[in-house]
Amino acid sequence: MRHQITLKIGPATFRIGSAWRDPIDRLASLYAAYPMLPGGIADFSVRLEPAGPLRQWLRPSIFITGDHGLAEAAPMSLRHGLLAAEMGMNLQMALGWRRHLLIHASSVEKDGRVLVMTGESGSGKSTLAAQLGERGWRLMGDEFALLDLATGQIFPFPRLVSLKNGAIDVLSAEVPPDRMGPLLANTAKGDIRHLVPRGGAIDRMEEGGQPALLLFPRFGHAADRRDVGQAEVFMRLTQASTNYVALGEAGFLALSRLVQRVPAHAIDFPSGDDAIAMIEALWEERA
Amino acid sequence: MTAKCRYCREERDAIAACALDDFTLLYHRTSGQTHMVISPVPEILDALDEAVPRTAAQVHDRLADHYDLGDADSVIAVIDAHLAELTALGLARRL
Repeated sequence: MRHQITLKIGPATFRIGSAWRDPIDRLASLYAAYPMLPGGIADFSVRLEPAGPLRQWLRPSIFITGDHGLAEAAPMSLRHGLLAAEMGMNLQMALGWRRHLLIHASSVEKDGRVLVMTGESGSGKSTLAAQLGERGWRLMGDEFALLDLATGQIFPFPRLVSLKNGAIDVLSAEVPPDRMGPLLANTAKGDIRHLVPRGGAIDRMEEGGQPALLLFPRFGHAADRRDVGQAEVFMRLTQASTNYVALGEAGFLALSRLVQRVPAHAIDFPSGDDAIAMIEALWEERA
Repeated sequence: MTAKCRYCREERDAIAACALDDFTLLYHRTSGQTHMVISPVPEILDALDEAVPRTAAQVHDRLADHYDLGDADSVIAVIDAHLAELTALGLARRL
């Protein structure tokens, strides 16, 4: 395509092509610290194409496609081009990645051990991971945790953190402005602003760790904590995985080992500071 | 109704099992499906043979060697219903 960039995020390489310059320029700026592989071999291609013959110029509208596409994906405004590129990369991972069991979860690491947090959109897993990433933990990813089928390690996928609505102000207060992307107002998911992970998260993005704690956070409730039984954990993680079925027995073995080995808790919390205190306490108990 | 039916289990190699708390996961290699079951399903499956067909009453007799099952007629009806379910899942075969 006319404008393109090839990016490496964790183990995956993406070639993103666009009919417009702007989304590529924004990616180049926000992903400046990541490996760029001009002309390199990519695992996935993402294409941002005009949604119709005239839509490159007239009310520019982006249709996201690539190696794996969703025919019914709604077109997006060019002013949300950065979000379109991010969604395109997520879509390729969700539909096409086979080297790890992909869990829709955030993850952070400390002392070689990994905390994995999974939950519905709005559960707070992404914001918590971003906050912990600013407070002494290594951010491994806010969207996908990659479970190695052979070793049981979790590997990072530290793309830009996608902050939504209230989380934008929370993180803006503790992150330097040069690590924050532009405000994308009134997207289908509300206001979105991207956060560039700290340098260590990017420099060590090929470094995995053994999972030590699994949490199911739930934002907006009185503080509470309960143990979650292994069968429920297994059910929830199969629902949170985009490729469990596709991986067959390798996925079954990797996931059942994870569930048997790693303690799991559900935590309800009214604010990020409450959640972080609960997480740090749980982590100390497990240390 | 089906108490006279005879059943074999799938070959042991066709199923990978994993215990999680009180549940047992059964991964069926042939279909690629994962089933989550609780007692008495794993015990019934274990009481079936790969080659020698057994009726619900025969499965009951084998289980009764190890468990206190109570009234035989009602337990045989329960076992029969589970055998029909296992057959529908592809984990047992009706002969």
